[in-house]
Amino acid sequence: MQPTPWMLVESGRSADAPFAARFESVGVKLPDHVVSTRELMASTRHHTRIDLERLTGIHERRVCAPDETSLTLAIDAARDCLARSRYTGAELDVVIDASITRYVDGSTHRFEPPLSLTVKEAIGARTAINFDISNACAGMLTGVFILHDMIRRGAIRRGMVVSGERISGLGSNAARSIRSILSLQLASLTLGDAGAAVIVDRAPEGIKGILLTGFTTLAEHSRLCVGLPALHHPGAVMFTRARKIHDVAMQGGPPLIEEILEQNGLSLGEIDWLIPHQTSVRAIRAGERVLSERLGERPKNVVVTVDKYGNTASTTLFVALHRYLTERQFHSGDKILLLSVASGLQVGVVLFELDDLEVNHGHVH
Amino acid sequence: MGTCIEAVATAHGHHRLRRGALHLTDIAAKACLQRAHHRADQLDLLINAGLYKNGNAAEPALASIIQEDIGANVGTHVIAGHHGTFSFDILNGGCGMLTAALLVDGFVGHGSARHGMIVAGDVDPSPRTSHRFPFAPAAGAVLIGHTDNSYGFEKIELRTFSEHASLFEIRLEWEPEAGLLHRGRNVIEVAEDPRFATLCTELASHTATMFLESLGLHADAIDLLIASQYPRSFALGVAQGIGIPAARVPIVARELAATHTAGPIAALEAAFVSGQFGRARRTLFVTVGAGITVGVALFVHPVS
Repeated sequence: MQPTPWMLVESGRSADAPFAARFESVGVKLPDHVVSTRELMASTRHHTRIDLERLTGIHERRVCAPDETSLTLAIDAARDCLARSRYTGAELDVVIDASITRYVDGSTHRFEPPLSLTVKEAIGARTAINFDISNACAGMLTGVFILHDMIRRGAIRRGMVVSGERISGLGSNAARSIRSILSLQLASLTLGDAGAAVIVDRAPEGIKGILLTGFTTLAEHSRLCVGLPALHHPGAVMFTRARKIHDVAMQGGPPLIEEILEQNGLSLGEIDWLIPHQTSVRAIRAGERVLSERLGERPKNVVVTVDKYGNTASTTLFVALHRYLTERQFHSGDKILLLSVASGLQVGVVLFELDDLEVNHGHVH
Repeated sequence: MGTCIEAVATAHGHHRLRRGALHLTDIAAKACLQRAHHRADQLDLLINAGLYKNGNAAEPALASIIQEDIGANVGTHVIAGHHGTFSFDILNGGCGMLTAALLVDGFVGHGSARHGMIVAGDVDPSPRTSHRFPFAPAAGAVLIGHTDNSYGFEKIELRTFSEHASLFEIRLEWEPEAGLLHRGRNVIEVAEDPRFATLCTELASHTATMFLESLGLHADAIDLLIASQYPRSFALGVAQGIGIPAARVPIVARELAATHTAGPIAALEAAFVSGQFGRARRTLFVTVGAGITVGVALFVHPVS
């Protein structure tokens, strides 16, 4: 009998779960407008002397036009995802929205009805169950974790996780007050806007698909990053103790990954692609180094997209997955590890083996 | 394999005491664990379904803060042979608790997790500036455990009637003149159409009746009805609509009337206290919320 893992883990097809799940389609919506880090830093009210580009490796990010919202990004990403899928919206059993930002127009944030209701209506998924989840930047991966559980035990056949993040406004609000590198709002300057959607479905016989999913919350550090409405401005602000989060992630993350890889008979060296949460190039490289030192091996490749898009919050992993699929960097049979590290402090992983997703991705129906 | 409801607890407050949703939810969660004689470390899964919380914080998930406050596996070190806790939030208005139950039932019922707790609480985050915030300040917690028997949620269904989505909306909007110094504030705006309450009852009654028919059951077979507490007339109205006698609807404490996401938990606690839950073999959950979303579930357990 296997020892109990610290993470809440579910493996793919097994004795207690008759079905495997897989990623069937990925879609994104990136706003057209590009704002360089130099432009953003030129907008700060105070002279900061912060070289954000050198500090984070972020050269630019996408920023919404006035008529784009969290909701429109989510809907456009969902449509892009369906356009690459073999399914129509009407064939989806579940639609989950994982947006942190919930802007439906201008600076209006909607609590109820859930955004997933509007998304599912927009894509014609009228009979699907819908609900929203909130789990900071781990939101979309949490949605995948939920769908994987439902599919593997046969409760549903397929579902979509979607998110729209109009989150660059936090950077604009931070630019009003940041004076130095020590500002708790510094991380807000790394944010970029994006929508992403992914369909997870029951894998056909012979396809391994998702090999395992796992999540845990290191809640002793739950208050290290807090995002909330601004007191005297429209929109929101975020206060992040970035150094502490980095330290906790470096300390807490590698043993968790080591444990679940070991229990599933895998080594880090067998992972073809590690797609980590995209906060900064420096943080990703540091994480790669610490993980490799702990496990004695390196993943074959580590995906970095934060330099082009910034930190797009809950959508980062799927924006990265989409870009590398589009660039045809993956190959059928590749083992890909998605790794979320988010406020809470959340650590989540999804390991999957690529099948025909890479082939289908270019086919927009 | 199935699930059992091991314990339920609620907490309520008052605006003037300035107790936020986090404070009330922490109280309810701790009381629930105490009633079940469990340690917080035994929780594998913690889902918060509450929506209106301190400062309207969008990040992190409130569930992770509750996890820290109740002391559920708060260390950063992996302990060999022991589960940690995974926490996140569900946002589905008045049907949030039942949506969370759908997920907990999957993880706990199939043995991936042994214990899952659903918490929910809503308190007006800014009573000085909110417009028409209608919900009672209250929170609840329900502990669901794994059982090797086949008892538990037999079926959970969520249906939406989006043609009525505009009848109930709650938003956070920027008002340039709001606040004591008129410097502007982000303000909670509640828009409830007068038809909302009636439609909730009608749509939920119809959905629940169809649900029972799909299971080959008649209203007579239902021993207990656990319903949303908002709109205020909903619980008794939906009982009448389905044909369940009012005596099978638990009476919640006055302070918990008009409770939002914790409403079904308040009803469940009343049924625990009155002994109705222990005597009921078949319990029907009917919840309602913005969307309009209707949740229906049949919970089956041995009569004690």
